Amino acid sequence: MSLVASLRTDAKRELWFVWYSTVAFYSLYTVVFFVLTRTQPPGHPWLTPEQAVGWFADRHSGLLVGFALIFVLGGFSATSIALITYSIRRMSVSRAYAYSYLILYAIAAIPGFVFICVAMTVGAMRPDRDPVLMHWLYDFGFLSFSGTMGVFLVGSLIWMAAILLDKNGVFPRWFGYLNLCNALTEVVIAPSWIFQRGVLAWNGVIAWWIDVAVFGMYTVVFIYLLRNLIQRDDLGTGPVPALPPGAARRAHPLAKVIAG
Amino acid sequence: MTAVEDVHADPRVDEVEHVPGEGDMWFFVLFESLVFTSYFCVYLYYRAQHEQAFLKAQAALTLPLGIAETILLLTSSWAIARCVQQTRAGRYLSAQRFAMVTAGLGIAFLGCKLAEWVRLIGDGHTFTSSEFMQHFFFLTGMHAIHLLIGFVVLGVIVYQLADPQRRSRQTIETCSTYWHTVDLFWVLIFALLYIVR
Repeated sequence: MSLVASLRTDAKRELWFVWYSTVAFYSLYTVVFFVLTRTQPPGHPWLTPEQAVGWFADRHSGLLVGFALIFVLGGFSATSIALITYSIRRMSVSRAYAYSYLILYAIAAIPGFVFICVAMTVGAMRPDRDPVLMHWLYDFGFLSFSGTMGVFLVGSLIWMAAILLDKNGVFPRWFGYLNLCNALTEVVIAPSWIFQRGVLAWNGVIAWWIDVAVFGMYTVVFIYLLRNLIQRDDLGTGPVPALPPGAARRAHPLAKVIAG
Repeated sequence: MTAVEDVHADPRVDEVEHVPGEGDMWFFVLFESLVFTSYFCVYLYYRAQHEQAFLKAQAALTLPLGIAETILLLTSSWAIARCVQQTRAGRYLSAQRFAMVTAGLGIAFLGCKLAEWVRLIGDGHTFTSSEFMQHFFFLTGMHAIHLLIGFVVLGVIVYQLADPQRRSRQTIETCSTYWHTVDLFWVLIFALLYIVR
């Protein structure tokens, strides 16, 4: 079966498109933040204005190219939010959970994702700017990125509550509890507004390294579980059926194409 | 199996060894234990690096208060265990009372913790005054957040026990597992912050 034919007949093609976009977005995000711009792991909070200028100079081209990619493709972040919102709509709980999640994440993406891209690009654009201003952009970028996790935290709690109350079996209950674990690690980032050094600073062992490890595991798990949901989904409104043994490998359009 | 069927299940079921509560909650226990273990490792690493500074700051803590807080939480663990026992025996009113006792002991612990924080801050030992205090306020603060969630969990127990149609032994065991976990974290925090010198 060709990919086009498979996409024509697959009733879940929109869901698969959104899922693949989610995978593509998180891959892009990782490459841009960790490799191209090297804004993650974050720079030291205790840099002097002159050192901040050096930090920008060190990453000049990476910041411009990397964040240009984000400005072009960053809108795909909406796909993961949309798919998670769909998963909550598929549950037996009130729609208020889905809408609250959607609104919270749409708002959180501005300070938690867009601001750092804008601030760092502005800094890289004119490297001869006053060091004090460069230092301000540096602080603004990292603080907006790390210090605004509270909104994401509430989003995780909403997803958790929806999963634990759901009777349609959209997600396993342990994933509801994993949402709580993720939310609790996001609390830890709040003190980054206070500390310029130590384990709770925005690049600290507790506030960044442990949190990123938890968030990384959480992201991999929820992307896998969303894939599993699409495979099982009968596009109805009642309980989501279990997948028959062996069906998982054949359930998505690309697998159908590979299988011929 | 419905909640009502679950509660009125064959009493011989109790004689069979089983993991209490939902298996999913044990996932939470293991994952959260790993996270706390990583916090403890970080604390111990920094303590080993700056031993004298940590010892000096640690002297500001009141050991008897820490012991009293530990006794309060261990007693609350006993009370929640009694709550589960009473539920298994079908004595729901008594189970509800033990859940209330657990909540009362939790509130007493939180009151002691708040008083301790106020005293320390009054004496100039704040979140930013030293590296030890940074860890102290962080670890005790994170534990307090877990305890606050524990009050919601106790609320679920009381709500479930109040109505025969809602009673689910598994949910009550799951909730008590959460409470025991929070108590276990405190015992480890107490040992690390107050006892280890």
